[in-house]
Amino acid sequence: MTHTIKLEANSRPEVMERILRVVRHRGFNLEEVLMKQCQTTNSTKITLKVSGERPISNLENQLNKLYDVAQLELHQSTATTGSAVAMNA
Amino acid sequence: MTGAELVLKVLQQHGIKHIFGYPGGAIMPIYDALYDSEVEHFLCRHEQGAAFSAIGYARSTGKVGVCMATSGPGATNLVTGLADAMMDSVPVVAITGQVFSNLIGTDAFQEMDVLGMSLSITKQSFLVQSLDELADVLHQAFEVAQSGRPGPVLVDIPKDIQVGSVDFEPYPIAEKQTPDFSAESLKLAKDLIASAQKPLFYVGGGVGLADAIDEMQDLLEATQIPAISTLKALGTVPADYPYNLGLVGMHGNQAANHAVQECDLLICTGARFDDRVTGKLDTFAPNAKVIHLDIDPAEISKLRHADVSILADFKKLLPALALETQIQPWQQQAVELRSEYAWRYDFPGETIYAPKLLNLLSQKLPHDHAVSCDVGQHQMWVAQHMLFSSPRNHLSSGGAGTMGFGLPAAIGVQVARPDCTSVVVSGDGSFMMNVQELGTIRRFKLPVKIVLLDNQRLGMVKQWQELFFEERYSETNLSDNPDFVTLAKAFDIPALTINQADQIEQGLDQLINSDGPFLLHVQIDEKENVWPLVPPGKANHDMLEGEKV
Repeated sequence: MTHTIKLEANSRPEVMERILRVVRHRGFNLEEVLMKQCQTTNSTKITLKVSGERPISNLENQLNKLYDVAQLELHQSTATTGSAVAMNA
Repeated sequence: MTGAELVLKVLQQHGIKHIFGYPGGAIMPIYDALYDSEVEHFLCRHEQGAAFSAIGYARSTGKVGVCMATSGPGATNLVTGLADAMMDSVPVVAITGQVFSNLIGTDAFQEMDVLGMSLSITKQSFLVQSLDELADVLHQAFEVAQSGRPGPVLVDIPKDIQVGSVDFEPYPIAEKQTPDFSAESLKLAKDLIASAQKPLFYVGGGVGLADAIDEMQDLLEATQIPAISTLKALGTVPADYPYNLGLVGMHGNQAANHAVQECDLLICTGARFDDRVTGKLDTFAPNAKVIHLDIDPAEISKLRHADVSILADFKKLLPALALETQIQPWQQQAVELRSEYAWRYDFPGETIYAPKLLNLLSQKLPHDHAVSCDVGQHQMWVAQHMLFSSPRNHLSSGGAGTMGFGLPAAIGVQVARPDCTSVVVSGDGSFMMNVQELGTIRRFKLPVKIVLLDNQRLGMVKQWQELFFEERYSETNLSDNPDFVTLAKAFDIPALTINQADQIEQGLDQLINSDGPFLLHVQIDEKENVWPLVPPGKANHDMLEGEKV
């Protein structure tokens, strides 16, 4: 399964590492990533496309648990890997 | 004031009176500020000892434990302790000194990416970026460590920020926010409980962490539902509750494991379906619907599907669950299981049977006591054979299973609760892993009581080698251990060796009645194993039962 997750996080220098670490450790592969700093809100907008066989709800919950993650939305899940997903952060 | 002075001010604002640590180059400004501070610092003899003492302090009181170390190796030595706190949800704040900001990333002396290495072993971590954010980051650290599911937080503070000048502004400490749970979920849960024929409470460490032990006990009293406990929950269900079936899992009581396999409703209360509890997961509680109660959304349906789940603060939730049940046949079955599988100590023999010694110790200890243990066979014997009146009195490294935990944890307990009899039960393998903390006991004249069960083996690994590795005893023979009595005496700690059953009584009395610290060195038979045991990959009802040697 491939999933697209959009999230908004506090703009700390390590926030991307923190998120990617959780993705890897909880059993998902990173397929695509897009990240953008928003100066006005001091936040970071991130779109991740990940693939994995474990339930995506587990990853959503683990990412949501991160203190720096303010919002998270599961955008799309598809059964096939490699399909093009529009990534707009 | 300086940033360093501010750090101590903020600690005091959060009610911190005691911290554990070890100085070094990059944290010297904070140690300099400590010199004039009311915060009392306990010098440990290794940063790992400081981290475990902070954990012992936190687990035995419910307050935040604080530890401190310098940059580089000081911080890396905290890592195991923080990982332990992460696995067992312990509120700890770790403060580490970091090199000057302009030296970060230059491979300077004792410069390491502590923030980077903290990511997987803390609930949250910060590298302080500027003096302006220092106070705010520290307040956040205390808030995050205690809120929701507790956990460790690390704050890495560069030296330039410690020596910089800053104004101190009082900060209102926020009241704890607790989430409201839905009335609908509550009704679903109560309906399930009311209609179940064989409901079972599966009580975890979350109840104690939520400070909801009284509420849990009231709920048991109201519902009269049988209960099983995880390692971290021991002490939550009253020992004399007629339907207390004890420890569940790999080395649990057969009564608990048979009950869980037979129940039709499992009410998971602050537990997390750990593999040491469930055995082969898809055979665990095969006939049961599941109600999962927790504060952490990530635990719901992580390993076992929950038919009903409620996210809540247990102090509010548990009283709302009270109802009367009509489950006499199941209660009768629980009573029978409890009686059938009650632990036995009436074995003949002249050597010391460790479970019997621990059970007797449990009976002899004064009411205000706490037992910290290490990891291995002795840890399981403590869990099986000692009785606790609160999970705050049983400190065992659960999720992480960290050898070397016991001695420094007991030091933390003794500092937090000076009137409490703080006992360590250790094994000869684990004890040597943080043995340097005997120096801390000596320095602060802490009356910690040490029971060292010595089978001259890495017993639990040896047991597995015997059962599952064709008796190929690879690297588990410790018959070249030091003379533990002489070792204790080098730290001014009186010690006694016993090895015969008729010496137990006197040995325990000497341990408990000594004014200061004491080490009771107990020589036991290396062939004695921990029973029962659910073999790896088996269901909980497939327990192996062995003989006392």
